[in-house]
Amino acid sequence: MKDFIGFTRRNMLIYFKDFLAVLFSLLTSIIFFLLYILFLKGTFVDALTGSMKGLENIVSANDIDMFANGILLSGILGSAIITVPYTCLQTIVKDKEAGVDSDICATPMKRWKIVLSYFTASSICAFIMTSLILTAGLAVLSFMGDPHISAGSVFAAYGTVLLGCVSSTALFMVLMLMFKSSSTSTAFFGILSAAAGFIIGAYIPLSQFSDGVQSFCNLFPACHITSMFRNVLLSGLAEKIDSTIGGLDNGAFISAMKETFSFNAKSFGYSFGNSASVVYICIIALICVAAMTVVYNKTYKRR
Amino acid sequence: MKIIEVKELTKKYKEHTAVDGISFEVEEGEMFAFLGENGAGKSTTINMLTTILQKTAGTAFICGHELGREDDEIRKANGIVFQNSVLDKKLTVKENLLTRGSYYGLSRKEVMKRLEPFSESFEMKDIWDRKYEKLSGGQRRRVDIMRALINNPKILFLDEPTTGLDPKSRKLVWDYINYLRREYGMTIFLTTHYMEETRDADHVVILDKGRIVTNGTPAELKTRYAHSRLVWYTAKSENAEALITRISRNFVYDADHYSIETDDNLTEFIFENREEIRDYELIKGTMDDVFLNLTGKELA
Repeated sequence: MKDFIGFTRRNMLIYFKDFLAVLFSLLTSIIFFLLYILFLKGTFVDALTGSMKGLENIVSANDIDMFANGILLSGILGSAIITVPYTCLQTIVKDKEAGVDSDICATPMKRWKIVLSYFTASSICAFIMTSLILTAGLAVLSFMGDPHISAGSVFAAYGTVLLGCVSSTALFMVLMLMFKSSSTSTAFFGILSAAAGFIIGAYIPLSQFSDGVQSFCNLFPACHITSMFRNVLLSGLAEKIDSTIGGLDNGAFISAMKETFSFNAKSFGYSFGNSASVVYICIIALICVAAMTVVYNKTYKRR
Repeated sequence: MKIIEVKELTKKYKEHTAVDGISFEVEEGEMFAFLGENGAGKSTTINMLTTILQKTAGTAFICGHELGREDDEIRKANGIVFQNSVLDKKLTVKENLLTRGSYYGLSRKEVMKRLEPFSESFEMKDIWDRKYEKLSGGQRRRVDIMRALINNPKILFLDEPTTGLDPKSRKLVWDYINYLRREYGMTIFLTTHYMEETRDADHVVILDKGRIVTNGTPAELKTRYAHSRLVWYTAKSENAEALITRISRNFVYDADHYSIETDDNLTEFIFENREEIRDYELIKGTMDDVFLNLTGKELA
């Protein structure tokens, strides 16, 4: 057990001691935040107010602002769940390239423990980083007003962070075990960080795309995770807005907002609720873990 | 007692044979040197003996444990200094060593206890809390050797440990290696392409294209494959050349001296002709000559 703990600790230190790695792992989230400040917030608020149709005097501008901010936080968390585990896992490729894997393979540490250590370290690092973002985000939202997030929702949000970090790590682990050079993994990261914001519907709501594109994006667990974040972080506020409207629109406004901002992931005509998303993510993670056990054998098998 | 026994060890990569049925034995406590140019199969052999690579064929016993069957036991008995540094650059020396110790199931206390006897001799105090990336080449090598000693190994594998180091650092590394031999009687398995590094070896094996070309003690190899040379400082003359041809036809005149290569007993020849041969140097054959004569190639 000491070997597993020691190697996991080492993998975590490698990530946290590299300031640039930490910074780049949050790059998509930072870019999204900056875009939000520059123009996305206006777009979101316009979309929300544009859908009110006569409810402008009933729903407060502060609630609409808070709703848009919640969408922002969900997007930041969703993209961090993609980019942080990926950056942590790049240690695998760097270790291969530098011959560190030979050093580890020459010790009595079991091969499966090596892979499990990378997996655990990445999941923990991603959880720590994303939890910090969530905590800071909740603090900022609370400072700006009442975000109507219950204690249960806060708990569910951290649970979603954990599920997202573990599932993303599982998915990227399979990829990373196959990469042979860090230039390949870095090139892929460039594509990933650019695409992440679109795939999870952070920059543009997924509902704006065709069914095919939506179905494709929702194949990725991170997309489901972002939808779950929207649910846990914004359901309280949505209920509050709905009760303010007082049934004048039979809940049409909130339903439309949930539809527009993809509160439920949709794939091939099927709309996932939170529970269905959890099941889907778990299935994908298990498939990835199974694939990992096949790929790691090839990677760490003495060639 | 034989600590390593290798028979017909082979490593193939598809069509390419990196190590081709080599056999050798290493006695406990000796320094065993593998000599060969890049790509000769030195590192591949070390990687097989340290369980990093799987052998294609052959058998090997390390500390009595069979390679491929008792690999965990072999891993516990081995310490390796790799050709390139494999420690983490962003971590401190201490963090690196404690982490590596944990791979052997050692606690922080146990690692510190294991390294204590070496820390003074290896001058570790000053660099203990420094980041590995901030160390000089020689300091890094020192830490690499410390890392290899963490598990108290019976055999220390050194894969070209001084490649890329300046002469001063190279000397320091050799001081540490000799210290380990002298104080702890550690078996050293060395690969190198520096001829002079095999000088103190008990046994030298020369590899070429994955095969053992020859083996023996440095003295045996020099006797067998290198010629002694007489450098005679004198003016070029027919008389001198007539005298030289009595022992060798293999000579050249260079600036102010004749350089004569021969297998004959030069001491006797010089004594007999002491009136003519007054200013001279007697140079014994070197490992460079051995390697050159055996492989037709020159090493660094």
